[in-house]
Amino acid sequence: MLNYTNVITEEKSYPGLQMKEIKPVMKLILRGKKREFLSAIGKSLNLLLPTEANTSSKSEKLSAVWLSPDEWMIYSNEVSDPNINDYETENLLNKNISKANLGAVTDVTDQFVLINIKGDKIFDLFETGSPFNFNDFKNKKGSVTQTILVKIDVIIHNQNQNEVNLFVRRSFSQHLFSWMNDSASRL
Amino acid sequence: MFIINCPYCGEREQSEFKAGGEAHIVRPKQPTELSDDEWAEYLFMRKNIKGIQFERWVHTHGCRKWFNMVRDTSNDEIKAVYKMGEKPPAK
Repeated sequence: MLNYTNVITEEKSYPGLQMKEIKPVMKLILRGKKREFLSAIGKSLNLLLPTEANTSSKSEKLSAVWLSPDEWMIYSNEVSDPNINDYETENLLNKNISKANLGAVTDVTDQFVLINIKGDKIFDLFETGSPFNFNDFKNKKGSVTQTILVKIDVIIHNQNQNEVNLFVRRSFSQHLFSWMNDSASRL
Repeated sequence: MFIINCPYCGEREQSEFKAGGEAHIVRPKQPTELSDDEWAEYLFMRKNIKGIQFERWVHTHGCRKWFNMVRDTSNDEIKAVYKMGEKPPAK
């Protein structure tokens, strides 16, 4: 991870909500259409990319989320060494996917900020700023959506009952986190 | 405000999408042989129907995929949604 001055510096707690940034977490965007692309990813990572819309898959070390019919994001389940900006998974995929002309691998570790939100009021918070209907989403473990939250593009990954991971572009993260705190304090 | 059924992601609110104008406009095969008027006709002139219109839309804040839509512009009723490259439903 690059040496940024992080804008989200502390964990925030409200009744029914806890929010904190998790870092550094490796994040990669994978793009490809060919069947060989999907099988090469499966063999390289021992992880099948989800082909059903708005779903995710998980292995011991990685999570894969569906973004579009030919686009996925994978991220590490554990935090990585903050002093290293070179990831074994990325190198492996560069070798097996990019160099084999099967698809594209882009490191977005520093582009997206991962905010982990826990509590029973997560969706009350989201509903104050998003047009997305969370009724089915919140009851389905592993569901994923790309939507807008206070006009900011976000990716939301439902981890467990009462726990989600939210990805937001770094440049929007301070504003979003500030809004989330403001909104959470009024729930 | 209306709900659009993205052919990839499912039902989403209209604010996640952007309209991309009239659909099924075919690029001339030999643009160099066209007169300026014919080229301008292809490039700029669009129907603006009150009623059933075939349109292109993009799910900007979701899957970022383009698709086609048949919409009644008088009441925003969506008659059909179909992927790029698929045949439009009969009028």
